[in-house]
Amino acid sequence: MNFLAPAFLAGLAAIAVPVIIHLINRERKVVVEFPSLMFLERIPYRSVRRQKIRHLLLLILRCIALALLVAAFARPFFAKRRTAVGTTGAREVVILLDRSASMGYADRWTKARDAARKVIGRLSSSDHGTLVLFAGDASVANEATATPERIAAALSVAKLSAEPTRYAPALKLASQIISASTLPRREVVLISDYQKVGWVNHNEISFPPGTVVTTTDIGGGATPNVAVAQVTTDRDSTGDRDHVTVAARLINTGAAPKLVTATLAIGGRDVQTKSVNLPASGAQQVAFTSIAVPSGATKGAVRITPDSLTPDDVLAFTIAPDDAVPVLVIEPSGSAARANQSLYLSRALAIGDRPSFRVTEKPADALTPRDFDGRALVVLDETAPPGGAVGARLRALLEGGGGIVIVPGSGRVETWPAEWRALLPATVGAVVDRTADAGGTLSSLDYAHPIFELFNAPRSGDFSTARFYRYRALTPQPGATVPARFDDGSPAMVERSVGTGKVVMWASTFDPYWTNLPLQPVFLPFVHQLGKHVGRYADPRASFIAGEVLDLSRHGELTAPFTAGRAADSSSELTLEAPSGARERVTATGANHLVTLREQGFYELRGRTTPTGSGRPIAVNVDPAESDLSHLDPPDVVVAVTAVDGQRQPGSDVNTGTPQDQEQRQKIWWYLLLGAVVLMAVETVLSNRLSKAMSS
Amino acid sequence: MTTAAPESTTSLLDPTVLARIGNLELLARTVVDGFINGLHRAPHLGSSTDFAEHRAYMPGDDIRRIDWRLYARSDRYYLKEYEADTNMNFCVILDASPSMRYGAMPDDARLSKLTYGCYLAACLTYFSSLQRDRVGLVTIDNDIVDYVPPSAKHLQQILHTLDRVEKKGRDSKVTPGKSTLLAPLRKLSETLRRRSLVLLISDFYEDVEDVVAALSQVRGRGNDMIVFHLLDPREIDFSFSDASNFIDMETGVKMPVIPEYLRAQYRDLVSAHTAALAKRIGESRADYSLFDTSKPLDKALFAYLAARQRFSRVR
Repeated sequence: MNFLAPAFLAGLAAIAVPVIIHLINRERKVVVEFPSLMFLERIPYRSVRRQKIRHLLLLILRCIALALLVAAFARPFFAKRRTAVGTTGAREVVILLDRSASMGYADRWTKARDAARKVIGRLSSSDHGTLVLFAGDASVANEATATPERIAAALSVAKLSAEPTRYAPALKLASQIISASTLPRREVVLISDYQKVGWVNHNEISFPPGTVVTTTDIGGGATPNVAVAQVTTDRDSTGDRDHVTVAARLINTGAAPKLVTATLAIGGRDVQTKSVNLPASGAQQVAFTSIAVPSGATKGAVRITPDSLTPDDVLAFTIAPDDAVPVLVIEPSGSAARANQSLYLSRALAIGDRPSFRVTEKPADALTPRDFDGRALVVLDETAPPGGAVGARLRALLEGGGGIVIVPGSGRVETWPAEWRALLPATVGAVVDRTADAGGTLSSLDYAHPIFELFNAPRSGDFSTARFYRYRALTPQPGATVPARFDDGSPAMVERSVGTGKVVMWASTFDPYWTNLPLQPVFLPFVHQLGKHVGRYADPRASFIAGEVLDLSRHGELTAPFTAGRAADSSSELTLEAPSGARERVTATGANHLVTLREQGFYELRGRTTPTGSGRPIAVNVDPAESDLSHLDPPDVVVAVTAVDGQRQPGSDVNTGTPQDQEQRQKIWWYLLLGAVVLMAVETVLSNRLSKAMSS
Repeated sequence: MTTAAPESTTSLLDPTVLARIGNLELLARTVVDGFINGLHRAPHLGSSTDFAEHRAYMPGDDIRRIDWRLYARSDRYYLKEYEADTNMNFCVILDASPSMRYGAMPDDARLSKLTYGCYLAACLTYFSSLQRDRVGLVTIDNDIVDYVPPSAKHLQQILHTLDRVEKKGRDSKVTPGKSTLLAPLRKLSETLRRRSLVLLISDFYEDVEDVVAALSQVRGRGNDMIVFHLLDPREIDFSFSDASNFIDMETGVKMPVIPEYLRAQYRDLVSAHTAALAKRIGESRADYSLFDTSKPLDKALFAYLAARQRFSRVR
């Protein structure tokens, strides 16, 4: 029921008036002190209770009359449902079958498929069924016109996934299917273990009114589970051979302690085994002794004794070598170079191991194209960019993802090769001499920029003490960014992307010739940040989560072994082989650099010529959250996705039908008004009688 | 001695006028002297000079009391004896129970029953004191509250006590509590050693038989009793109009009352109660008078004198 003039409903507050009057009448009895009630108590009293009953009768009559009057003015009417939901006829049935990793617990998957099979068995020939398999995302398993037999066939080939539980994509897909359906009866069957971690209430997901949501709960009850929640590796490269120390964190969600065996496997072979007594509802750290590992990326895994949920009983990882970032510092040749010109830069980059920089210094006149092979970063330290074949190779490196830091210094830029002008981030101007005013400072730093974000926090690097006595006036090219400026507003650093690589121009020097920055504590982290950013260094990840999208363009450490030396060919195809043996063509950059890792285990990334088994392993594990089997109450899901009956749906219009229809539905106010008048008449008669009775 | 009630009351004896006189002694003197002047009688009343009988002389009698005239005629020694040749005890028992505090309204000048009773007690005590009687005062509640033993010198003490009782009843908050006459009167009867004229001032919110039983405690010891029953006009006519919650001043019990429904029956019950009191108290040879606190005090004085005269004749 709706109202044409709902504002009149505010008049219902008038009901309070007779109530208040009644209460005032009852309470207006003032208190009178009287010497003794001895005589009054002897009088057979016409009790107050009888008075109350009479008054309450009047009160109720008055209240009802007022309510009817207000309701009549509010003009109620019965809205015609926009979509009539039938109780008979063909059905649109959407079966949402959870196939996330947690469904592998005990016999849940079998039960779930049996439940789905029963639903399919109840489909009649006129019904339309859709089987939606969901885990991290949802997909329709059968074609649109499938018969129940075809749907059952699709169910029989459905397999468990290693991906985590996410209800929202499945419910969204079901909502779309139901909304598009023209069949009179709509039903959604959600078969799941109702894992709590997978449920996030999305208000925008709502089934059309009349949709019947049926839940089949496979989960619930006691679900003891033991899992490998986390593995950390600590690689020590200080000795002759690399050693790695592995530690695993095991969790037990059961109510009873459990003794498990944890096994560390490296390179496919079990190397250590430890027994661990896991406390009830607790966790335990297992540290394996340090072992020597071969060079290159090595497969590793920690396994525990299998239990009801096996996917989380193993956690795979990759022990990647700490690849040093290869840096080439090109100095001016001959007498043009100052003594120890690149000393500060080289020494600063040589310190540290995460990452370590392998610096090679070379004079400009001794360069060959091969010097750039495998380089991630090239620093042109006060020397002109090379021309000819060497220059072409350097540009190819740049476009293929390499980085170049250009320090113009006091060099004559007019003599630089013309082919570089289009690639430079800034036009180099005259030397600005700030010796007269004790040097300039860096006054404007873009702390959102990757180079400077490390220094954003308080007391994490002070650039204000660095003085810049001379620097080149830079004019940024279009498309270039300026992460740092001097106090006179001129750019101190200008950056530009060329292809997939980056060119950064630094206005001052990296030695104390023009600035005392190399003598400041902040110089070392600044140079490291500059090297990591321009050299496109990414921390290697030991493992990925099933369902995660791998962006190969952001993981140079994975593709570098196959693209090194072929910078111009970096978009060439690579092969990614899943644990199941399925192969996929990918590229380090370009169109196919994104791939979803759906399977648990080790993927293998190979180049075109890399033999099978020699590629870069990529470890993929089940989401640790799947080990949390906390149960969700199925009605919570139903309530969240079911539209409230009578709630207006977007686009619905209550004023449908002919004017006669509308008038017919609205004329209820007449009856309400009539009822109010009758009640008022009765009230008048009754109150008159009561008054007479009282006065007599 | 016979006295007659005046036809009209003097305005000076109007309780509302008297209420403006702060000093209780001055009030009593004003009332009594005015009253006596109105009667045109000498202030020294009583029977101390009235001849009663002759008695034969016995050795040891004062020879000054020998009637020499009779000796001349009969040649025998006779002594003249006079009626009431000694002063008497006059004791006022004032009920100071919570119900007696009823009547004083903040918006008018009406007196509470307790104040009215205090005025009465003061006037009659003063009146008796003028006759050289020994005067005493007892205020009672559930028990004896104040006790001023009868003495010829206790007028000031009595007036002071009455003043205090009246102020206390007017100012302080009363704690409800059902009071009875029996216990204090029984205790009082044990303390009155001489035969006394006892004046009891109360509102008598008790069963009639309980009142009579209490009075018999005093009366049974040979004391003469005068009973003044004080009621506020509203206690008599129940002239309330609005439905109200009535609270018993003695017990604190609350009762919702619609006066118009109960007025007639209430009046009947009060009339029956006062009639029963008058009958039963009269039967116990005490003198009963009902007073409306809106009426002047002279009526009470007449009642007192009439009773006193009657007791005199009886004796």
